Amino acid sequence: MTGPADGGPGRLQVRGLGVTLGRAEVLRDVSLTVEPGSWTAVIGPNGAGKSTLLRALVGLVRHRGSVLLDGRDLDRAAPRERARQLGYAPQSPVLPDGVSVREYVQLGRTPYHSLLAGPRHGDGGIVDEALHRLDLDAMAGRSLRTLSGGERQRAVLARALAQQPRILLLDEPTTALDLGHAQALLELIDRLRAADGLAVLSTLHDLTLAGQYAQSVVLLTGGRVAAAGLPREVLTASAVATHYGASAEVMADGSGVRVMPVRPA
Amino acid sequence: MLAPGGRRRRGRALAVAGGALLAAALAGVAVGAVGLPFGGVVSSLLAHVGVHVGTPLPPVEDAILVQWRLPRVVLSALVGGVLALAGASYQGVFRNPLADPYLLGAAAGAGLGATVMIGWGPTQLGPLGTVPAAAFVGSLTGVGLAYALGSVASRQGGGSATLLLAGVAVSSFLTAGQSLAQQAHAEDLRQIYSWIMGQLGTAQWSDVVLVLPYMAVSVTVLLVSGPVLDVLAVGDDEAATLGVRPRRVRLVVLLAASLGTASAVAVSGLIGFVGLVVPHVVRRLAGASYRTVLPVSLVGGAAFLVLADLVARTALAPAELPIGVVTAFVGAPFFAALLRAGGGRAR
Amino acid sequence: MLARTRSSRQALRALLVTLALTATAACGSSSSGGAAPSSPSPAASTTASSPSADAFPATVTADNGPVTVAARPKAIVSLSPTLTDMLFELGAGSQVKAVDALSDVPKEAPRTTLSGFQPNAEAIAGYAPDLVVVSYDIGGLVSALGKLKVPVLLLGAPRTIADSYTQELALGRATGHVAEAQRVADATRAQIAEAVASVPKGAAPGRVYHEVDQTYYSVTSATFIGDLYRQFGLVNIADSAPQAAGGYPKLSAEFVVKAAPTLIVLADEGCCHQTAATVAARPAFATIPAVATHRVLAVDDDTASRWGPSLGVFADKIAVILTAAR
Repeated sequence: MTGPADGGPGRLQVRGLGVTLGRAEVLRDVSLTVEPGSWTAVIGPNGAGKSTLLRALVGLVRHRGSVLLDGRDLDRAAPRERARQLGYAPQSPVLPDGVSVREYVQLGRTPYHSLLAGPRHGDGGIVDEALHRLDLDAMAGRSLRTLSGGERQRAVLARALAQQPRILLLDEPTTALDLGHAQALLELIDRLRAADGLAVLSTLHDLTLAGQYAQSVVLLTGGRVAAAGLPREVLTASAVATHYGASAEVMADGSGVRVMPVRPA
Repeated sequence: MLAPGGRRRRGRALAVAGGALLAAALAGVAVGAVGLPFGGVVSSLLAHVGVHVGTPLPPVEDAILVQWRLPRVVLSALVGGVLALAGASYQGVFRNPLADPYLLGAAAGAGLGATVMIGWGPTQLGPLGTVPAAAFVGSLTGVGLAYALGSVASRQGGGSATLLLAGVAVSSFLTAGQSLAQQAHAEDLRQIYSWIMGQLGTAQWSDVVLVLPYMAVSVTVLLVSGPVLDVLAVGDDEAATLGVRPRRVRLVVLLAASLGTASAVAVSGLIGFVGLVVPHVVRRLAGASYRTVLPVSLVGGAAFLVLADLVARTALAPAELPIGVVTAFVGAPFFAALLRAGGGRAR
Repeated sequence: MLARTRSSRQALRALLVTLALTATAACGSSSSGGAAPSSPSPAASTTASSPSADAFPATVTADNGPVTVAARPKAIVSLSPTLTDMLFELGAGSQVKAVDALSDVPKEAPRTTLSGFQPNAEAIAGYAPDLVVVSYDIGGLVSALGKLKVPVLLLGAPRTIADSYTQELALGRATGHVAEAQRVADATRAQIAEAVASVPKGAAPGRVYHEVDQTYYSVTSATFIGDLYRQFGLVNIADSAPQAAGGYPKLSAEFVVKAAPTLIVLADEGCCHQTAATVAARPAFATIPAVATHRVLAVDDDTASRWGPSLGVFADKIAVILTAAR
């Protein structure tokens, strides 16, 4: 039941995106394409503008350039329309007090009902399914604040899923998760992506995780796209050295690309 | 928004609050400076709606009941309900549990308007009192100034933190103006303070009729804002990604809440603590979803003020306490207890 | 947090003002006991009535305790309309240098911009007074003037009419007009007695409601106004308010209606535009005997708030309305 609500493949095209905050040009001439149902990872050193890119795509930051979904200009779309297409999970979500997990996930249905009328009849089922797929049934009635870090990330994801978007934009979804939980979460996202044909655009700190899960990688440095393409094309030892100033060994095999830091000689 | 459990909880909370209001209203109508026999009160009220049962009160007592006590109870309920609802709405819009309906200069503006009118203006224009109108206009002006200042002051404009600061600035300025005006007319001090401390003692049906349209608009708009305030709880940014326009929502809710507050203040002076404490109690007892908090605050606030007014006019009967003092005496220690109990749960 | 602080501040302010209003009513009308015991009988006054009694230095007891006036004052400053009125009645007008802005009786009093509600010790000192008389000690005025070595007489609103006479005698002693003071007090006493006598006594004592403002603030018998009504044998409906409410309790409309006063005195015509007509228009007020028999007396705010010689005028007005054809 949870899946992209409207027809259309769901291809996101970003052309010439630029963001200026104050006097600083945070993003310049960023172009990328997210193919339908694919996972694109945005990587780059601190301050490269990864989060800003996602925020610009969701309409939180004023920008130059165009953002097209299946050829339709998203910037012109009404906020509700955009919310039905793009599901966004921020890096540090606000967790309201006194709200249960179910109520929180229910917020994801907001773009689908009139604010005055309140939730519609079918919403309950969609919410239940999102909770179920993210393994949150047992804690649906609990207060949001009582959840652990991993459970909270799942709750935010469930809320984004309840929006039935075509593209999931995730800002550092594995923040503060240990390796096991991070892996579990990313596996879950990948399964959802495959099952619903969702496209995923996520910023990822961890280069190996990016190399393992993404089909396409975009490397941002200083607000510009330094490289884009398949993981093995972008994640190279020299790229890591140039853009991160770090020394690493890169191994590519069937499961993806692994980037292993090596102490400088 | 509410799961089946939540809806049941809301229904229960509303029933409890409604029961409290009914009990408070009955007590308020039956008890007062003038002792009226309860049976007579009931008979008289029923007689007025055409049901003849028992012995109604004699004409003078009946007039007291219907012309003075009943409108007073009704006005207390209206004012208390609107202030609590406005307070809850402000708390939702600012995501701040310490917000109250006077936050953006509604009280300071009303105080200044009333003081200026008492000091310099004619307090009666024919049969109409001018002070309520001056307070109403002053109240809305105060909020308007705060909103304008908040919008101009920051690039994002209308962000809640900026608005809050603008409200502080405007309130301080208007309060200073009021103090100045008070000093210029020190002989009117008692009248001014009497107004500031809140009073429902002169409530008549004409007052009820006067404020009803504004309160009706305010209450209607606010009651339907529950779902959107729940969305705003996740912050402006995330709310925007869910399809909501935070600034527009904030403007509409603030306008409606300020309209209600201004009309309440116009007829009853400045009654504090209702808008702050009642929503907290409701949240504690019935959950934090605004779809519940708003309507239950409306009914609970009405009950609270009817009871407070009852205490104000019976504690030293036949003399009356200023109602602002009663709500403060009840509200302040209550609030302190709330903070102590909820300290660990604070944001 | 700011909102809570402001609400608390509001509450605290409300509380303080309530206390202040109560305290003012209590303190302001504390007995201004002079050397003579406050007795209604004129013969009991122990102040001698011969010119040689105008001796200086004179020690007078006022609300602020015993005050010594070294010599006959020639530059008196008055910040109280009542005390100004008294001074001129006593014949001390020529000794008065400056009076406050609200002292409009008599017309020839030298009015200035001084304020009795916001007194400025410096401004007062600018007139080089040798005696200052006030009815309120606001902002530490008495001690400020004390530092400037200026004798101050604090004579606040009395609780009884007898205290008003005592104040006149005190002023007489302080200004060297003891005989005149006695004469003025006696004259007022006689005027009031005459007014009282002119009202035929009915079978039951009348009931009076004195309205200070349209939110039903009234006065009890523990004030000089209340004492005047008592002289007329009227029962003050505000007296059923408990002591805790102070001398100026706030009543309610329903109580006033039920108490059915036979006389209503409005002291809020000036401030709040209340007249017999507006009172009659209030819901259910038409049932009140005072309204039905047109015994609603509107007195100007000054008459209702000043004591001393104007008490006689007030008494006359009361007598007139009580004896008017029903």
